[in-house]
Amino acid sequence: MAARIVAWLAFAVAAYALVPFAFAGNLYLMSMIIASLTIGGIALAWALLGNLGGLVSFGHAAFFGVGSYASALLVMKAGWPIGISLLAGGACAAFAAVLMLPALRLRGPYFALAVLAYAHIFRIIATEWKGLTNGAGGIGNIPRFPVVFGYDFSSKTGAYWIVLSLVLAFALIYAWIRSSHLGLALRAMHDSEEATRAVGVNSTLAKALMLFLSAFMTGMVGAFNAHYINFLEPDYAFSGLWTMLPIVAAIFGGYRTISGPLIGAVVVYLLDQLVFKAMMPIGHQIVLGALLGAMILFAPQGLLSIFARRRPRMASASGDA
Amino acid sequence: MLELSDIGVRFGGLRALDGVSLSVADSEIVGLVGPNGAGKTTLFNVISGNLRPQRGSLRFAGADIGSVPAYARARLGIGRTFQIPQPMHTLTVAENLAVAQRFGASRVDAQAAAEILDLVQLTGLASRDAATSLSLAELKALEVAKALATRPRMLLLDEVLAGLEAVAKRRFTQMLADIHARYKLAIVIIEHDIETISTLCPRAAVLNFGQLIADGTPSVVFSQPDVVASYTGTVPDA
Amino acid sequence: MTELVLQALWSGILTGSSYALIALGLALVFGTMNVINLAHGELVLLAAYVAYTCESAWGASPLLAIPAGIVIVCIATALTYALVGRIRRDRELNSLLLTYGIGIMLTNGILLIWKADIRSTKSPWLQDAVVLGPLYSMRSELLFFVVSAALIAGLWWWLTRTWAGRAVRAVASNRDAAQLMGIDPHRVEFVSFLVAGLLAAFAGAAIFSVNVIQPGLGISLTVKAFIITVLAGMGSVPGVLVGALLLGLTESLTTTFFSSALQELAGMVLFLVVLFVLPNGLFGTRWRRAH
Repeated sequence: MAARIVAWLAFAVAAYALVPFAFAGNLYLMSMIIASLTIGGIALAWALLGNLGGLVSFGHAAFFGVGSYASALLVMKAGWPIGISLLAGGACAAFAAVLMLPALRLRGPYFALAVLAYAHIFRIIATEWKGLTNGAGGIGNIPRFPVVFGYDFSSKTGAYWIVLSLVLAFALIYAWIRSSHLGLALRAMHDSEEATRAVGVNSTLAKALMLFLSAFMTGMVGAFNAHYINFLEPDYAFSGLWTMLPIVAAIFGGYRTISGPLIGAVVVYLLDQLVFKAMMPIGHQIVLGALLGAMILFAPQGLLSIFARRRPRMASASGDA
Repeated sequence: MLELSDIGVRFGGLRALDGVSLSVADSEIVGLVGPNGAGKTTLFNVISGNLRPQRGSLRFAGADIGSVPAYARARLGIGRTFQIPQPMHTLTVAENLAVAQRFGASRVDAQAAAEILDLVQLTGLASRDAATSLSLAELKALEVAKALATRPRMLLLDEVLAGLEAVAKRRFTQMLADIHARYKLAIVIIEHDIETISTLCPRAAVLNFGQLIADGTPSVVFSQPDVVASYTGTVPDA
Repeated sequence: MTELVLQALWSGILTGSSYALIALGLALVFGTMNVINLAHGELVLLAAYVAYTCESAWGASPLLAIPAGIVIVCIATALTYALVGRIRRDRELNSLLLTYGIGIMLTNGILLIWKADIRSTKSPWLQDAVVLGPLYSMRSELLFFVVSAALIAGLWWWLTRTWAGRAVRAVASNRDAAQLMGIDPHRVEFVSFLVAGLLAAFAGAAIFSVNVIQPGLGISLTVKAFIITVLAGMGSVPGVLVGALLLGLTESLTTTFFSSALQELAGMVLFLVVLFVLPNGLFGTRWRRAH
C-alpha cells in the first residue's frame, strides 16, 4: 500500500514538474500530451462506470459535448467565471445523465445502446437549437483560461497542468470510492444484485450515482476542452471519437485498474497521432479498431494485466493501482 | 410483527398465491411447509419485496409496507436467505457481513460481526473468499450470517437445510435455535423435513396450490388428512 | 393536405422496406446468438460501396452488383462470426465491444479504399420518377421495395417452411432444448450470420440506389436497425417489419411536417419512448429488463 502511494506521488512530481520542463518548448508534443490526457480523463470516467457501476456505455460523447457547450455558454452568455464553469459543465452533464435514469433498468447491451441514442439526440439538439448553440455554425472565440497569480493558464503548460489536475483528482475520487463500503457494495452487486438488495443495498441508487459521477467527470473534461480549443461545433463536441478513443484506451490499458485507462490513453493516442497517422493519413484509426478487437479476444483485462504480477487475494481486496 | 392479509399473486393464468392470510408475532418461530410449487418461496418473495402481489396487504411492525422496495424492507428488519445460496462471491466472508451491516444496519460493528460468525460457526473462515472455497454447509451458514448482520427483527429462511446430510442438519437446527434464543427475532422457516419443523417450530402453516390449508401446532397439523394428502398426492375428500 | 400525408406515408413505406432488410439481419443474429452486431451497418455500407464500384468501374446497374456484394459481405460476415465465436467470457458485452471494433475497422477501411466523398447512383433509369396516382417515388425506391418485399416473403417462407429455418427458430427460442433435439447451434448461428449478410447485401445496393452514401453512414444504419429491433421486441419477425415501417413513417412524416434535419431525432425519440413505455417492444417475447 505504501509502495503504491509512493509510486503515485513520484508520478505526480514527474508529471507536474518534469514534463513541462522537458517538453514545454515542443508545442506540438505538448498538444498531443494534453489531448491524450483529455482522452484519459474520459477513459477513466468510462472505466469507472463499467467497473464500479457495471454499465458499459457507447455514448460518453454525449456527456463530453454537454459539458463543453454548457461551460462555453455559461461563460459567454451568462458571464460565469471559467473555473466555476468547468464544475457547471460537469453538473450539466450529470443532469443529462438524470435523463438516462430509466435506461438503468435495461440489460447490458440495451443500456449501452440507449446511451448511444442519447448521444445522437444531444448532437442533433445542439445542431438544431440555433438560438442557444448557434447550430452547425458553432461557437467561436470561447474565452481562454485566465491569468491566475501571474501565471497565464492559457499557455500549453498551463492547460496541461489543469487537465492533469483534473485527471489526478478523478483518480483519487475513483480510488476513494473503490476502497469504501460503497465500493464493496458495488462489487457485491456484480456478484449478486439480489443478495445485495436483500441486505439493504439500494442497488439502483448506487448504479445511478456511478452514472452521475462518470457523466460529471466527462462533462468537466469536455468543459476544459472547450476553453482550451476555444471553438465548438456540434459534430466536433459530440463526435463519436470522444466515445471511441476512450473505450480503446481503457480496454488497452486495462479497465479494471485506475492507472490502466490513463496509461492506455496516453499510449494509444500518441501512437495513433504520431505513428499510425503518419503511415496512413486517412483511415489510420483502422488500427485502433483492430487493437480493440485484438484486446477483447486475447487480453480483455488489458495489456498491462499481462505484465502485472498476481497479488495475494487479501492485498487486492481494495483493487490494484 | 408481520400481518399478511388476503395476498394474491398470479403469473399469467397461474394462481401462485390465492388469498393467503398469515400473522407472525414477535419472536415467534413458524414453519412453512407444503409440496413443491405450493407457493412458499413466492410468499417469501412477497414479504421481502421481490414480488408485488396483485391483491392483498402486508403490514410489518404495524406499518403498511406494500409499496416499500426490497432494499428498504431489509433495512426495516426483514432478513432473508435464498434457497440457492447467493453469496457476494468475490468478497470475503467478513466483507459479506460488512456490506450487510453497513447498508442493512447502518453501522459496521466488528464485535457484532464476530458474534454472528461465532454463532454460525464460520469464525475461522472470515477472510476466505466466499465463492471459491466454501462448502455447501458453509455457504448456507453465510446466508444466515448475512441476514443476521442486518439486525433483522424477522428472519425468512428458505429451505436453508436442503442438501445437507443428517448430521449437518441437526447441527444447523441447533444453530437456528441458538440464534432465536440469542436475538429473540421472529423466524419463518420453509422446510420439507417434518422432523425439523416439529423440533424447531411451535407452529406450522401449510400451503398447497397457493392456499393456506392448515395453521397450528405441528403435531395437529401433520395429522390432518388434507395435509397428509397434499404430500402423498391423494386427492382429499371433497 | 391529404396529398402531403399520403405522399409521406408512401415514402415512409418505401424507406421502411429497406430498413426492414437491415433490421431483420440484425434481429436474426441476435435471436440465435444473443449478440448485437454493431458492425452490421458497416456491412450494409460495404455492399453499397461495392454497388458503387460496379457502377463507376463498369457502368453496371447496382442490381448486377448484388452478387458481388453478397460474396464480399458474406466473407466479412463469416470472419466476424469466427471472431465473435472466440469470445469465452461475458459474451453479451464483449461481443458488443468486439463488433464495435470491427465496425471501426470497416468504416476506416471504406474510408481508405473509397475516400470520404459522398457517392450516389448516376443511373438515370433508377433516378426517374414513377407516378402512381397522386404518389411520387423514384424508380429505384419502387424497385427495391418490390425486391425487399420478395426477400422478406422468402425469409418468412424459409423460417417457417424449411428445416433450416425451423432450426434457426428453435435455437432462437431455447438454445439448450434445441441442442437436445440434435440441432447444432454453431451451425445455426453461422447460417443466421450468413443470411443476415445476404439481406445486408441487398440493403446496401438499395441504399446506394436510393440515397447518398459516405463512410460515416455505417453507424447510423446500425443505430436505426437497433431502434427497429427494440421497437419490434426481440424474437419477432413481423414485429421487425412493423417497426421498420413505423420508423420509416416517422421519418417521412417528420420531414414533411417539420424539417428533414429533425427526422433522425424523431426516430431516436420514438426509440426512447418505446424503450421506456413498452420495454418488451410492440411484439416482444423476451424480457429486456434486468430484473
